Amino acid sequence: MSSKPMSTWHVIRTMIWQQGALYALNTLMWGLVFTIPLLEGLIAKLFFDTLEKRPLELNITSIIALVMVVAVARALSIVGGMAADIPWRFRISALLRRNLLAHILERPGARALPVSVGEAISTLRDDPGMVEEISDWTLDVSSRVVFLVVALIILFSINSRITLLVFVPLAIVMSLTYFYGSKLEKLREQSRESTAKVTGALGEMFGAVQGIQVAGAEARVMAHFKRLGDARRAALLRDSVQTQVLNAIYGNVVQFGTGFILLLAASGMREKTFTIGDFAVFASYLERVAHTTEFFGHFMSTMRQTGVSIKRMIELLQGANQNKLIEPHQIPLSGSTPDLEPRVKTESDTLQHLEIRDLGFEFEGGTRGIKNINLTLERGSFTVITGRIGSGKTTLLRAMLGLLEPQTGSVLWNGVCASARDLIPPRVAYTSQVPVLFSGTLRDNILLGLPDDPKKLEQAVKNAVLEQDLLGFEFGFETKIGSRGVKLSGGQVSRTAAARMFVREPELLVFDDLSSALDVNTESQLWDRVFEHSSETTCLVVSHRKPALKRADKIVVLENGCITAVGKLEELLKTSGEMRRLWSGELE
Amino acid sequence: MNTVVKPPRVQIPVRQYFGLLEEYLKPQRASVILMAVCLLFSVGLQLLNPQIVRFFMDTAQKGGAQSELVKASAVFIGASFFQQVLNVAATYFSTRVGWTATNALRANLAEHCLKLDLSFHKARTPGELIERVDGDVSTLAAFFSNLSIHLGGNVLLLLGVLVVMTLEDWRIGASLSVFSILAMLVLARVRNLGTPYWKAVREQNATFFGFIGEQLSGTEDIRSSGATQYVMRSFFERLKTWYPVVWRSNMLGGSMWVVFEILMAFGTALAFGVAAPLYQNKVISLGTVYLIYQYTRLLAEPLDQIRNQLQELQRADAGISRVTELLATSSKLIDGQGANWSERALEVEFRGVHFGYEDDVKPDPSEQPEHLEKVLENISFKLEAGKVLGLLGRTGSGKTTLARLLMRFYDPQHGEIRLNGIPLTSAKLDQVRSRVTLVTQNVELFQASIRENLSFFDPSVSDTRIWAALEELGLHDWVRRLPRQLDAELSSANLSAGEAQLLAFTRVFLRNPSVIILDEASSRLDPATEALLERAVTKLLTGRTAIIIAHRLQTILRSDKILILEDGKMLEYGSTKILGNDPNSRFAQLRRTGLEEVLA
Repeated sequence: MSSKPMSTWHVIRTMIWQQGALYALNTLMWGLVFTIPLLEGLIAKLFFDTLEKRPLELNITSIIALVMVVAVARALSIVGGMAADIPWRFRISALLRRNLLAHILERPGARALPVSVGEAISTLRDDPGMVEEISDWTLDVSSRVVFLVVALIILFSINSRITLLVFVPLAIVMSLTYFYGSKLEKLREQSRESTAKVTGALGEMFGAVQGIQVAGAEARVMAHFKRLGDARRAALLRDSVQTQVLNAIYGNVVQFGTGFILLLAASGMREKTFTIGDFAVFASYLERVAHTTEFFGHFMSTMRQTGVSIKRMIELLQGANQNKLIEPHQIPLSGSTPDLEPRVKTESDTLQHLEIRDLGFEFEGGTRGIKNINLTLERGSFTVITGRIGSGKTTLLRAMLGLLEPQTGSVLWNGVCASARDLIPPRVAYTSQVPVLFSGTLRDNILLGLPDDPKKLEQAVKNAVLEQDLLGFEFGFETKIGSRGVKLSGGQVSRTAAARMFVREPELLVFDDLSSALDVNTESQLWDRVFEHSSETTCLVVSHRKPALKRADKIVVLENGCITAVGKLEELLKTSGEMRRLWSGELE
Repeated sequence: MNTVVKPPRVQIPVRQYFGLLEEYLKPQRASVILMAVCLLFSVGLQLLNPQIVRFFMDTAQKGGAQSELVKASAVFIGASFFQQVLNVAATYFSTRVGWTATNALRANLAEHCLKLDLSFHKARTPGELIERVDGDVSTLAAFFSNLSIHLGGNVLLLLGVLVVMTLEDWRIGASLSVFSILAMLVLARVRNLGTPYWKAVREQNATFFGFIGEQLSGTEDIRSSGATQYVMRSFFERLKTWYPVVWRSNMLGGSMWVVFEILMAFGTALAFGVAAPLYQNKVISLGTVYLIYQYTRLLAEPLDQIRNQLQELQRADAGISRVTELLATSSKLIDGQGANWSERALEVEFRGVHFGYEDDVKPDPSEQPEHLEKVLENISFKLEAGKVLGLLGRTGSGKTTLARLLMRFYDPQHGEIRLNGIPLTSAKLDQVRSRVTLVTQNVELFQASIRENLSFFDPSVSDTRIWAALEELGLHDWVRRLPRQLDAELSSANLSAGEAQLLAFTRVFLRNPSVIILDEASSRLDPATEALLERAVTKLLTGRTAIIIAHRLQTILRSDKILILEDGKMLEYGSTKILGNDPNSRFAQLRRTGLEEVLA
């Protein structure tokens, strides 16, 4: 992550180009919205000048008509501007979210996020919004610049001396706040960090409700939460007071400016060379010019804050090419979404043999992990990996499947080097130790996007020994599973995950200790069904249960991340002390 | 003039706002008063400035002394400066008050949710609750820190302008008052149109990011199921339902701006229309004409601000109704009066218990209709203090539910559960949960230190006790090897499922429950580690009542009694010895298959 994060301008430019035509339309509409007020000042001048010099000639009706026409014109451009603006800005944050999510899903699944889920949600929620906002503000910038230039020309033609003397301090304030802004950025980052901590804590709290309630720890967990909340309040308070000081400077600029105009115009007014109408134009434009400079200052500091947001989003990419964040993609906002095309099994997908060569993975800073793993799986074989807790069984499966990024080694599918991208259905499917289900129907959870084939679905459910449970559900496959599948029992979740695996008809089935959620009978049933169906099925299983060990063509014993013994059960019981301990543990 | 402050027929739930304000602002009275003072003076100075300008103009028109004009300008500048200082002070106080208040509200909400029963949590993702507790309350923070105060300031300014104008000339005052009232009415009208849309936007946000959160927690499953494209497809589908809501609410916000523009044009027209004839008839000076023009423009500020803040209110409105809705969701478990349970083992009794899960918490109305699925039927047994009950049954036979009932996560629809003869419902919830503890195969860990994870953030638990407990479970070597030992941060990445389960046991050792439920608690352990655990469990169970749920017979051989469940009904219940010796019992049959498996 040593490379410099890309500049905010680069991101904004890319966002603008991707929807160039819509942006052009926006520029036109918002240009009108911001320049029409120039007319308002001129109308006021017309009113006061006429009243001062030829009061009886003043036609009030036409002045009022003028005021209303200008207002209606502005109102229409606002409506047009909104209509062009909403889809434009919505697509910006949608694109960023799309790119982030797509990238996260491409990452090794067991290590997809460098931060907690709560923090990642808060990044996906807030940071694309920042880019959306700042990109949108570029419209204001260009429109306001046009306004500024025209306003200065008009004022200069009225009175060049006052114009110069009043608008110079404005420029000074601009540069002042620019320097000041860098301090704001740091405060902003602090307050964002403290916010992420609060949301992270909330996420964990609600994810662990049962555990907290069991421990009766509500009050203590809340105290922890309140401490984080206080830290956030302090950070936000600093942030907002600094911002307000900035605002006050801008506010003062308008007032001081008006005061200066009065001061400078004193003699002119006495001598009638500077009219009240002139003063009205100055006052009207000054306010808007000050708003504009205030906006620029705000824009600059938001630019810097957006820089922080972009940095955070790039962190989620975890070292991948930064341009992935702003890669162009279609973001359709209406119409139907095309159906998925399932991956068809080709000849090269058919498993002959799978070879794991010198696979190694080490966790950061720890000695834990796996080393020098060499293993071959033949078609139709049943291989069991066993070992004590912490011996690296799950790590081995994950590293092999690319759910963790192995530091060394490779996996060969029929002798051809296979990347993580290849080791998914229809080649391999995997059921983890603690499977995750998603909110939705049972059918959706099993299919996860596969075409709905009732025969296949039923077969998968049968293989997973889930058919009895299914009969018990009033709504069958349409049963909605609550958040994270909690309405199902632990065993039902595991079996649903197994069905999800079976319905993909993979060449290689990988189970990580599925048996721990099943009772002995159910487990035996499951193995029977796996093999009754076809002797071609290849299985790789983590287990220390006897039915699996007895059935195994090959047992792999792991100790501290290394394979210490390989063979059939009878051999190993003779040759491996660790195997004997693992086997006999239940008898002690 | 009061009608301006409280426009009739505006459905701002004023009482709700003030109800919320009152509770959280009371402890901060001093800050609130200071803020109000700053605001009051700031408004006064804003009203003063146009008067100075008028004085200046009239003096200049009459050809008055240059020094007078300079003095007037100086006073103008001084007043402006002072006003900005007051503004900063007011903001400081209002932000502090606002965040203190909403922090309290957030904590209240979080605590409330935390105490709600599991049927509530089952129906919601953690991501959704984050959005409710933090997202919604943050919009309320805007309400607390800006709206109530700035809205108040702006209303004051508005009233001030109207009063000063009336003093100037009653005709001007009257026409501007009528204009202001009409403007407020129109703006309030437009505002009310928007509320449902803002609510819809927040709801869409919550479901959208709830979806994102689920996907982010399931990356391993998505990836290994080859479901990446499927998830991306649902992402796009969700965008398509989200967008129209955003469109509508933003267009409505835009229409509010349009209405405001038109209203302001009316205001200027009115000022011109009223002031010009008065000047033409020599009733007022040219300086006063400018004063009227200036005050009308000054009126724009509060009206514009009030418009903006009403827009914020739209958001806060939706937030408030959702917050109050959440606060009104009460736990179905009602605290009893309290029970006097001793620290020692307690007798557990189920009396004709029937139970089924209810689906009545439905955030999504399209969800299935309410129905009750019988999970437990007519469960009755008595487990004497200090005895161990082995609970057997297929997955889905109701074992876990039985454990949850004893923890009082739910109340049974019929029947009663008693501890030492006292019904659970007549005790306090925290009493039940401090006497009964549950270890499951799902271990919930926090991103916090090992110490905090084990003690559940209880600082009174000493390190000595923690180390002793760790030693009991053979975890002390592992912890000692970690770089910061007890202060090491736990994360699921560097912890195997088995280790996590041992940590869960450690938690129980640190507490002193009377009844222990082990729900498949050792299922993720390998036999060698399990043997080590046996010792620790033996110690743990001494002098306590226990219910052990397991698929494996071996795990429950230590039990005094056996209960076998099938489809939620009691299939067999009795003493382990008697059932074991009766060759026709289901238990003996199970034991034979089990032992065969062991011996083969």
